[in-house]
Amino acid sequence: MSTGVYFALLFVGAALVNNILLTRFIGLCPFFGVSNNFQTSVGMSLAVAFVMTMATAATWFFWNFVLVPLGVGEFLYIPAFILVIASLVQFVEMFLRKYVPGLYRSMGIYLPLITTNCAVLATATEAVNPGFFKINLPYAFGFGEAIVYTLGVSAGFALALLTFSALRERLELAPVPRSFKGNPIAFITAGLLSLGYIGMAGWFGL
Amino acid sequence: MDLALLGKSILALGAMGALFGGLLAVAARQFHVEVDPRVEAVAAALPGANCGACGQPSCFAVAEAMVEGTTEPDACVAGGKACAEAVADILGKDVGDVKETVVARHCGGGVHATARYDYEGLRSCVSVSRLSGGPILCPAGCFGLGDCALACPFDALAMGEHGLPVVDLEKCTGCESCVCACPRGRAGLLGMVHAEAPVVVRCNSHDKAKAKRSYCEVSCIACRKCEKECPEEAIKVVDFVAVVDYELCTGCGTCVEVCPQDCIESFGRDPS
Repeated sequence: MSTGVYFALLFVGAALVNNILLTRFIGLCPFFGVSNNFQTSVGMSLAVAFVMTMATAATWFFWNFVLVPLGVGEFLYIPAFILVIASLVQFVEMFLRKYVPGLYRSMGIYLPLITTNCAVLATATEAVNPGFFKINLPYAFGFGEAIVYTLGVSAGFALALLTFSALRERLELAPVPRSFKGNPIAFITAGLLSLGYIGMAGWFGL
Repeated sequence: MDLALLGKSILALGAMGALFGGLLAVAARQFHVEVDPRVEAVAAALPGANCGACGQPSCFAVAEAMVEGTTEPDACVAGGKACAEAVADILGKDVGDVKETVVARHCGGGVHATARYDYEGLRSCVSVSRLSGGPILCPAGCFGLGDCALACPFDALAMGEHGLPVVDLEKCTGCESCVCACPRGRAGLLGMVHAEAPVVVRCNSHDKAKAKRSYCEVSCIACRKCEKECPEEAIKVVDFVAVVDYELCTGCGTCVEVCPQDCIESFGRDPS
């Protein structure tokens, strides 16, 4: 398999086949929390992609150059990664506030929300421990693979969130029975959407 | 226990913590953004309860809006007159006459109201309101489970001995958090009156007198005694319940004395 095809498959696998929201059900709080408005979902998706990529890059370095050499990674990765991600988000927030106030204003309310988002932590964990939540592969991602994998996950996150919020905006106008209005119909929609995504399981043997 | 592993863990996390702590400390200084000092001063002058009565999500947000000039200095409902003056003082603006409001409960039922059923369950007015129209027969009365007291950000409401919330007029700021929390608040059970309103009618049921007598001992039976006796014609019976016109009311207390049902009570802050 050529490198290009390998990376493309890695991306598609992370984005579609193992979609973090609708196939693996990680990070569902923003999925329901911000999806009633399309514009908000766009902001959230961008912020998640941004933070996820930065977080994985940082945790990959700490994993490979601090935790693994010391032999403490196996049991210390959660507090260590939380520490890295939280400080990183805080740092990025301060940086943006000073130098890119426009971006800070549009992203400002989402950044602190993402700090402890489980999707970010899960992606960071999986980038150093591929298949961590299914089967522990005796294999580690290189830096490039980790980044492509993260981009795939965030693309999948964005795709799922945007489809779902578009559906919810349409549902606002639909004649939904009174007892199903609001969250119940949102849960049903999410279930159907998830069925669609699960239909992609096993593509390319991913 | 593997002491070396323990040492390594402490070392790794400690070093990372120190590193990030140091980085963030440097960054906080390096990337420090000057905030308009007036915003901080105005925010300090506001009550800081983030009650939302002004329409902004937080006291800091309304402070920013006040400094920008998109919001008037008297926008803070909860802060009342003193707060509006303090804000206007910081911004060098004038405030007009600020009217402070407080919440008044238009129900005197409580232990006097006839129960529809015995309720044992979640102590919440909202949840009991969903159960067969509430635990009392009166369609407008207070359930007495204290959602309003829980919602009050200023600790101004407490459940009194008659199973009804009692407002502390000195602490009430008129933010309407309780009115939003009460399942019957907007329907007329809780109303905003100006802080020096001399009397308040403790009933808001619009049923006919006979029906009201059947489920409550202290309801307004629309006998019109108050209406006839009031020297200022400030109290009128509208839709089977007495309503006070506070523009005309002088606070003489005649209606409180003549009411055969004792459902008109003295109220309000001392004008002095």
